[in-house]
Amino acid sequence: MATSLTLPNRTLPSLFPCHTPKTQSSVSQCLPLVSKSSESQFYGLKFSYSSSLSIPSSSYFKTSISAKVNKGSVPPSFALKDQDGKNVSLSKFKGKPVVVYFYPADETPGCTKQACAFRDSYEKFKKAGAEVVGISGDDTSSHKAFAKKYRLPFTLLSDEGNKVRKEWGVPSDLFGALPGRQTYVLDKNGVVQLIYNNQFQPEKHIDETLKLLQSL
Amino acid sequence: MSILPQHKYPLRPLTYAPTCPRLCCIARVTCSATTTKPRSSQNPLVIEPRLVTTPDLVTTIPSTGPPLPNDPSLQSTWSHRGWVASGCTTLVISLAKAMMGAADSHVWLEPMLAGYVGYIVADLLSAVYHWGIDNYGDASTPVFGSQIEGFQGHHKWPWIITRRQFANNLYALARNVTITVLPIDILCNDPVVQGFVSICAGCIMFSQQFHAWSHGTKSKLPPLVVALQDAGVLVSRLQHSAHHKPPYNSNYCIVSGVCNEFLDKNKVFEALEMVIFFKLGVRPRSWSEPGAEWTEETDETHPQVTVH
Repeated sequence: MATSLTLPNRTLPSLFPCHTPKTQSSVSQCLPLVSKSSESQFYGLKFSYSSSLSIPSSSYFKTSISAKVNKGSVPPSFALKDQDGKNVSLSKFKGKPVVVYFYPADETPGCTKQACAFRDSYEKFKKAGAEVVGISGDDTSSHKAFAKKYRLPFTLLSDEGNKVRKEWGVPSDLFGALPGRQTYVLDKNGVVQLIYNNQFQPEKHIDETLKLLQSL
Repeated sequence: MSILPQHKYPLRPLTYAPTCPRLCCIARVTCSATTTKPRSSQNPLVIEPRLVTTPDLVTTIPSTGPPLPNDPSLQSTWSHRGWVASGCTTLVISLAKAMMGAADSHVWLEPMLAGYVGYIVADLLSAVYHWGIDNYGDASTPVFGSQIEGFQGHHKWPWIITRRQFANNLYALARNVTITVLPIDILCNDPVVQGFVSICAGCIMFSQQFHAWSHGTKSKLPPLVVALQDAGVLVSRLQHSAHHKPPYNSNYCIVSGVCNEFLDKNKVFEALEMVIFFKLGVRPRSWSEPGAEWTEETDETHPQVTVH
């Protein structure tokens, strides 16, 4: 395992990677702890991974080995119910770029910030010709209430049982304790062009995806 | 709603004294639907599951206002003073053992380092305890109920802590320090251990005083206290005032505040809250709009304290 270790000069090390950017323009082998593919911070130690990982979690390890959706691949299709109870299939968005963001749960601070950030930048996404779709394990009634409360103009899909999350290989965080927060940008051909993972800086998902969309 | 009396404290170094008198005749209003799957806590002593996910949680509305300045509940009793004296005695013994051990072995660095570590750990522990009490449980929670209620009252009337007499403010922590440190005093002669224990337990015991000072006005505080606050040795008025702003989810430390930046920047408590939510289905209070019982009231008898 290609791992390098450097100790930053700090009194109290950082636990989570709050400041390091985690843009992944290449295939992501996301870490459950630090949500970063090629570089991560844990307790102030920088880890650079080339392929395998040292964090002991068999389910995570399987996810990293068989990251099911990678950059350049076409993700498996799905059909999930939206906040109005209507079936929505991924194929519905073919012909235009789609931002598919997986988030832990409705009405949690990070997810609310992320949803509101997508909402506030929605015009920019529309201008880029892209659709935004949020997916979590909450049911349709939760999505309906969440979308109504925060006036979300985009689709929220109910992935009950987290089936699609597992199919796409969205990694968990904190040794599997938290559903991961990962965003995919699909181009108009349905091919993944960006995978971005950041659990605790949800607004950055919007910046990174817009940056990519503007270059498509 | 019942308020459980404090029959005994568990053997641990951390307990925060209620900073407000117990409220009587309290009405509770519970409303709103849940979209989570609440599970009962596996440790009933620590967390009582909350069953709601939307605002307007369990709301306890006190029917009494803040205690008046001469309220007996703010005065020290001889029992309070006794506990503070016993707590201080155990700390002095611990410190003396550390110093004597260091002098005997001519090794001072390790006990001093251990003391410094104790100072940092005390700050961290104060944050963890404060976070737990502020976010989970309520007045009916076993063991912690009265403290949760006390912290709730403190958020509502934060200035009251500055009117509480010294021993009244510290006695509960002093009692726990006595119970915890006395056996260590008797059984342990290691100067490093005693160095850690004396400083850690000492900071914890006096944390309520540091907390009270952080609610004080600069002009009314002793110059030495102001200097220590400004130097970051004690939790500053500015740092702690940030905790008293909605959504009350940061700056939980009340010893020195040295851990606040690390904890807040790294979203440690947010991560813990998410884990608890996903594993136990319990939402912390800070995720919802504060109810009436947590929202700060202005002190009509004194001008609003401006932090400077």
